[in-house]
Amino acid sequence: MASATPDQVRSLDDLGTIVDTDFHLTERQEDIFPYLESPFDEMLTSASGDDYGYLGRVYPATGMVYSVTMGKADSETVRTREDVLAGKEFIGWDAAIATPTQNLYLGAVHHDDLAAGLATAYNNWLLDEIVDTDEGIYGAAVVAPQKPVKAAEEVDRRADEDGIAAVMIPSGSVDPTLGNERYYPLYEACERAGLPIKMHNAGGTMMTRFPSTWKSMSRALPVHVTSHNMMHQTNLADMLTQGVPVRFPDLEFVVQESGLGWYPYFMRRMDHDYMGAKWDAPMLEKLPSEYLDDQFYLTSQPVEGADDPQYLNAVMRLFDGDENLMFSSDYPHFDFDDTDALLRILRSEFDGQALRNVYGETATEVYDL
Amino acid sequence: MTDHTPTSTGTDEPIEADEHTDRHRVAAAVDLPPGDRVVVDVEGREVAVFNVDGEYHALSNYCPHQGGPACEGLVSGTLEVDGDDELVWDRAGEIVACPWHGWEFDVTDGHHTASDRYRLPVYEAYAEDGDVYIEL
Repeated sequence: MASATPDQVRSLDDLGTIVDTDFHLTERQEDIFPYLESPFDEMLTSASGDDYGYLGRVYPATGMVYSVTMGKADSETVRTREDVLAGKEFIGWDAAIATPTQNLYLGAVHHDDLAAGLATAYNNWLLDEIVDTDEGIYGAAVVAPQKPVKAAEEVDRRADEDGIAAVMIPSGSVDPTLGNERYYPLYEACERAGLPIKMHNAGGTMMTRFPSTWKSMSRALPVHVTSHNMMHQTNLADMLTQGVPVRFPDLEFVVQESGLGWYPYFMRRMDHDYMGAKWDAPMLEKLPSEYLDDQFYLTSQPVEGADDPQYLNAVMRLFDGDENLMFSSDYPHFDFDDTDALLRILRSEFDGQALRNVYGETATEVYDL
Repeated sequence: MTDHTPTSTGTDEPIEADEHTDRHRVAAAVDLPPGDRVVVDVEGREVAVFNVDGEYHALSNYCPHQGGPACEGLVSGTLEVDGDDELVWDRAGEIVACPWHGWEFDVTDGHHTASDRYRLPVYEAYAEDGDVYIEL
């Protein structure tokens, strides 16, 4: 090798350009209402009227009480260009794609036409008060999934703005899900404009739909791919939060038919969120992943990535599969695994005891055979 | 971020060590009443000193998570469960939450409320002759 100066990065300073692809504004209704266009400006900018104290007025939220609500996390306000510049300095980016906060809930707004009007108002506000390409401040044009044709028109209208670098669909509350043909005009407009689509969810808005949104998927494949692992994640997250393994310390659970890779992911995501919200799961005496390690077992079928030894061996190690994984075939179902599908891969990196555990000894203990 | 720090000398004026000792005066005791805290810079280290019911506790102001100012966030209590597994508010005034991500630490011993893996370094703190000192 003749290279005299290896391409090494030791710190952020060596990186050149840093682009933050999800930098949030914390806009409020009162920020964007002045930018509403007719008829919604006349409709909502009236001298009287009463929202009866409902939070958010037109943006439904489910009232999730989280660390920011309690003041335990002290989230910055980002409602002006100066606020953005303060964030720019804090994170140290050279460019950022600004994403909304309240408008993550836009897809749950009850009044469809108003939702489209709010997207327009947000984009007016974004361009007028936030975007500044000289400072690297770009934005994602928000569209209302309730009105895909109007969303496409909104994209056409913003397509030539230098400061608009993407289109954002508030994807957490879409109904139907985003494969439906009603969204194709929107996709065509984004493709025509050369703008990527940011899909961004928010917990409080997914609570209004998820997982009933599965009903809107009119094919089997997307339901089968997502529902097994998502339902398990939902149930496991709830069981851990409510302290089920603490209340029933001698009870074991076997999690089945959902593949492998989501499980080490879920362990770490649950631990990650728990570290900032211990108060929301006060029954727990150790990390969520430790309960999973001690009282939960995963069965192997359907093994994904069996043609990728590097993947499967790594996933196996990431949740101590030699102690926590049990072979399953699912025979005679259409997605059954042949008995040695797993073994063919794992034998390259795991010893005999690990494989004996996976194929029988762990199950013998769990089921007291 | 909004300023949760009730009284603070800030970190503008580095504090010098007493001659020939490793103790550092952080405040006059009257300026650090129960429920209050100060954040001081001691030889380049940011240390927070809390007065919890007359007991002084000194902790590092550097969150082991991602480096946030752990001791400058909300001082409150936390949710716990009682003997009947009902939610109760517990440890009032003894829990500080890092304002960056809400990680909770026990002011009295520096431990994260969820895991012993993470702990803010603690230092000895006491009052003597009307002044509050810490020892590093």
